[in-house]
Amino acid sequence: MNGSDAVPNPVAGPVAGPVAEIRGLVKEHGQGQGRVRAVDDVDLEVPRGQTLAVMGPSGCGKSTLLHLLGGLERPTRGEVWLAGRRVDTLSERALARLRRRSVGFVFQAFHLMEELTAAENVELPVLLAGRSPREARRRASLLLERVGLAARARHLPSRLSGGQRQRVAIARALANEPPIVLADEPTGNLDTAATLDVLRIFEDLRTAGQTLVIVTHDERVAATADRLVSMRDGMFVDDTRLTGSSSRGLGGLIEWES
Amino acid sequence: MGSFVLVVRLVLADVRRHRAQAAMLLLAVTVATATMALGLSLRGVSEALYEQTRAATAGPDVVALSGDTGPAVTSALASLADDPEVIAHHGPYRIVYADLTTHGSGRSPAVASGVVVHGFAETPGTVNRPLVTSGGWVRPGGAVVERGFAEALGIGVGDRVTIAGRSYLVVGIAVTAATSIYPWAAQIGPYGGPSDSSGLVWLTRSDARTLAGRDLPVTTAMDLKLRDPAAAEAFVEAFSDAHRDPAARVNLHTWQFMATQDTVILRNSQPILVVGSWLLGFLAVTGVAALAAGRAVEQTRRAGLLKAVGATPGLIATVLVTEYLALALVGDAVGLAIARLTVPGIASPTASRIGDAAGPGGATVAAATVLAVTVAVLSTLRPALRAMRTATVTALAAAAHQPRHRPLLTALSALLPTPLLLGLRLTARRPGRAVLQACSTATTVIATVALLTVYSQKERGYGLNGSSVLPNLRGELDRRLMLAVTILLIALAVVNTVTLTWTTAMEARANMAVARTLGATPGQIAAGLSAAQVLPALLGAMAGVPLGIGVCGLFSARNTIMPPVSWMLAAALVTLLVTAAFTALPARLAARRPVARALSAEAA
Repeated sequence: MNGSDAVPNPVAGPVAGPVAEIRGLVKEHGQGQGRVRAVDDVDLEVPRGQTLAVMGPSGCGKSTLLHLLGGLERPTRGEVWLAGRRVDTLSERALARLRRRSVGFVFQAFHLMEELTAAENVELPVLLAGRSPREARRRASLLLERVGLAARARHLPSRLSGGQRQRVAIARALANEPPIVLADEPTGNLDTAATLDVLRIFEDLRTAGQTLVIVTHDERVAATADRLVSMRDGMFVDDTRLTGSSSRGLGGLIEWES
Repeated sequence: MGSFVLVVRLVLADVRRHRAQAAMLLLAVTVATATMALGLSLRGVSEALYEQTRAATAGPDVVALSGDTGPAVTSALASLADDPEVIAHHGPYRIVYADLTTHGSGRSPAVASGVVVHGFAETPGTVNRPLVTSGGWVRPGGAVVERGFAEALGIGVGDRVTIAGRSYLVVGIAVTAATSIYPWAAQIGPYGGPSDSSGLVWLTRSDARTLAGRDLPVTTAMDLKLRDPAAAEAFVEAFSDAHRDPAARVNLHTWQFMATQDTVILRNSQPILVVGSWLLGFLAVTGVAALAAGRAVEQTRRAGLLKAVGATPGLIATVLVTEYLALALVGDAVGLAIARLTVPGIASPTASRIGDAAGPGGATVAAATVLAVTVAVLSTLRPALRAMRTATVTALAAAAHQPRHRPLLTALSALLPTPLLLGLRLTARRPGRAVLQACSTATTVIATVALLTVYSQKERGYGLNGSSVLPNLRGELDRRLMLAVTILLIALAVVNTVTLTWTTAMEARANMAVARTLGATPGQIAAGLSAAQVLPALLGAMAGVPLGIGVCGLFSARNTIMPPVSWMLAAALVTLLVTAAFTALPARLAARRPVARALSAEAA
């Protein structure tokens, strides 16, 4: 990845203290005897610039945690703070506006709009934020160049490989310079080469000070983070700081995979 | 047998799973076939009622009318009676043209109308024996009022009426086939002048003679029974050729002529109903096609499952088509039954004829069934063929049809506010559905323009000098039918709009969920879904106005008064606003679906 100078630093902003914080968070699904506690009384702070990996077996509540952080689901109990604002009490409208400015999502299934080109997909959040089409085009062009897809800007998602699609999704997540990017199994559908491409981008983002929360099954991905939280049955069972290891981890991984 | 049972079980299972869709198909087909059957059933119904009345009243084959009363006329009429083709006659008798006023009561106010008084013997002869349906026959000082006229006046046996200043007791109500139905008793015909709105009253010969002495217009008439009733037209031609005496002008009206005159009252009803049924049929196809398109992915997967367990493509097509066909045929049967029950109420706007209006005949049943089958086949052909042709593995993993990239619309939408941006892009995803919405709206506007046109006509009432104290029955019937057809069209269009909005929302739920994660508010999503319907509806409404004018022009008389353009534009605007209102609820419901669940479902 190169050419990131033209895009403002995503951490630049008024946020003081942790970018994301959750306190006593509980999320239950279902009712009566079928009630399941997906997230069970967890607390978490994500400081600015940190890359946090959340690992755990399927169904342990990782994705739910991410959805709660991004305001896509509402907690049963507890508080969610994002970019200095408490979000669990916000209306749907206010949440949407907050997401526009403060959160970028990356999904395992990419979730690109199939009828839009790569550039048009990246332009969309900029347009939704009320910026001009010209500004949207400019930002899409810069971000696609940053993820190495400038030559494929006019391609439809169906003509891109899985790794390329995920890179478009990452560019889209960064379109409005959010203080935090939430990635849900971003490499889950990718082969090794594409996984490395995505990890390189994440590494660049980490270096640039972008806050990242990555939910993953993949230990290789987790090894690139600053901090690793393990979940089981909706609870945090381990919280490890991988201080100073991430760059080496990624470098080592790249060397190992090569 | 095994296959048959399997098909039935699969069809029943699918209908149970999609009850609302089944109900909608049933409703759409019922409405369309009922309207068509009703319209087609009106063909020949007036003639049938005339025939039954003629048989019950010894109706004449020819009625001879003369505007004079002198000896030359008497001689001419006598020569008619002596004609070898004439086997019986009634008359000559006097016809007096006067005014009639009812006395009114608490329930019905006093009304005045033109009246045609026939002077009859107190004992009816063998030809033209009016059938008394209530009370008795004429006696001195007692009048018998023709049933259609009595019903319009709101009078019955025992009431009093004033004819040319003299009061008469109504002693009976009767019907006859010797004159046209109310209000055309004057025999001038519905195309005549202002005097053509009058009813018929019978008095005794002496009372009629007394009335004639009051300086009122008088004519003479005679009813003839021919050896060969079918040759009445030839008889009239032969007589007209042989008698060209200007001093004794005699006009002959055949029974066929009078039967044809009866149909005039339904002249506009049939096109209203038949054209209405075309439009309703079109909306039925539109709605059911939208439903079928919305279920395409699910149906393809179902076909894949059936193939995986050994079903042949033929069996799959049979299951898919049978479901819609069976529902359409049930709708057809219900529609025909409704038409059968409704025909009598529409076929005879006046009470001047007796008998039963026959229900839908064989040709009508066939036409309505063809319409129902067409709706079913047009709606399911594409999904059935796709399900048959798709390979089993592909069908099992069936995804929604990939929308095409439309760069121009995408670029254009980027300039618009978020709801319009989303709406235009949703429209561009499924242009076929947008066309259906536009056509549905255009159809509604066409019907509304036709309704406004019908209501713009200046209707002369049947009271004296065109007073509307006695309403114009033909105009009222036209208005009622047009209103009913328009309401049905609007109801189907509303159902279509809701269906199209919901299927659009369901197909685009993943994209809308993504838009939510990118910061679109639920309100913007809901507005976008509404806009996706309203944008094509706008085009439909704009096209509907000139199309409505064109359709009205095709089926209207030259002197038809068109409604002001401002009314038509207002109708188009209201249609658009109503469309927007009806898209709001499904759009709002769809926009509030949980984002995380939609994304997870799409990823699964």
